[in-house]
Amino acid sequence: MAGRTIVVTSGKGGVGKTTTVANIGTALAKKKHSVVLIDGDIGLRNLDVVMGLENRIVYNLVDIIEGRCRKEQAMIRDRKLGNLCVIPSAQTRDKDSVQPEQMKGLCEELAKEFDYVFIDCPAGIEHGFKNAIAGAQLAIVVTTPEVSAIRDADRVIGLLEASMLRDVHLIVNRLNDRMVKKGDMMSTEDIVSLLAIPLLGIVPESEDVVVSTNRGVPLVHDRNSRAGTAFQGIAARLNGEDVPHSDGKDVGFRDFFRKLFSGQ
Amino acid sequence: MLKAIKRFFGDRPSGQEAKKRMQFVLMHDRLDLTPDMMEALKNDILTVLSRYMEIDTDTIKVDFEQGKEYTALVSNVQVKRVHRRTECTR
Repeated sequence: MAGRTIVVTSGKGGVGKTTTVANIGTALAKKKHSVVLIDGDIGLRNLDVVMGLENRIVYNLVDIIEGRCRKEQAMIRDRKLGNLCVIPSAQTRDKDSVQPEQMKGLCEELAKEFDYVFIDCPAGIEHGFKNAIAGAQLAIVVTTPEVSAIRDADRVIGLLEASMLRDVHLIVNRLNDRMVKKGDMMSTEDIVSLLAIPLLGIVPESEDVVVSTNRGVPLVHDRNSRAGTAFQGIAARLNGEDVPHSDGKDVGFRDFFRKLFSGQ
Repeated sequence: MLKAIKRFFGDRPSGQEAKKRMQFVLMHDRLDLTPDMMEALKNDILTVLSRYMEIDTDTIKVDFEQGKEYTALVSNVQVKRVHRRTECTR
């Protein structure tokens, strides 16, 4: 059976796409699924450094596409998990060196070998975005509770739907419970009602994220991190498990999302 | 403390304000109506209405309102006189 190809996108930059890809991918690999992560941001390489693999790069995505290496040669194996690989992006090439059809072909090849293929989409809605979504069956839109991120997320959702990518799910990143309680931040309910797509997960704002990227070790390896636990929940939900969206909230809140998920 | 006092006097929390603003912004983004199209829409509404009644064309306003589960087009225009049935021009 072919694996699933999932693009993680947002429109706006800096909302946590790369962190999301690194953590969901690692969480699924920890559960014994075979996973490959593709850095789709050609010209601006990032996923390798977040994963702590920056020293091992020889070939990259453009080398595969242009036939300078076999795809196995460009895949870097994770330091801890043998069933997790990263395909880094090219740093020196311009972003037009790959075409959507080529990305689609590569994703199809990879899906034959891996359970999950993740694509870390570049910010923006231009060429790189079109490449990143070309081979995907499912899209995860990451937003933060800020007006600019939400507006861009809405634009991206519109573009995904126009590209016939209808399986679109939302992650609300960097939610600050304390500010929501004070009324000074939009709640997850507010954001879900604005964007009108199903919620895949909520990641609380956390300093752990900075620490984990400093070290190049994804948060899901850390059992005590709330954000890490949130990413594990998201991975489990992607894998079809029924995990409630809980982060110490009351029952009414959980029921709201259960209703959302069952589509009532 | 200052915030609490401000809220008491009807200053709503910034989160709610953000939500209201986003409802409006996203509705307009999704509709993607240019000012030209809005103008054309206004003129078409006026043309249709004038078949049935005499209206004050300068008073027309066309706005979109976001309800909880719908988007409504709200148009207000002053009616001067309604034509008699025989006057209806079609």
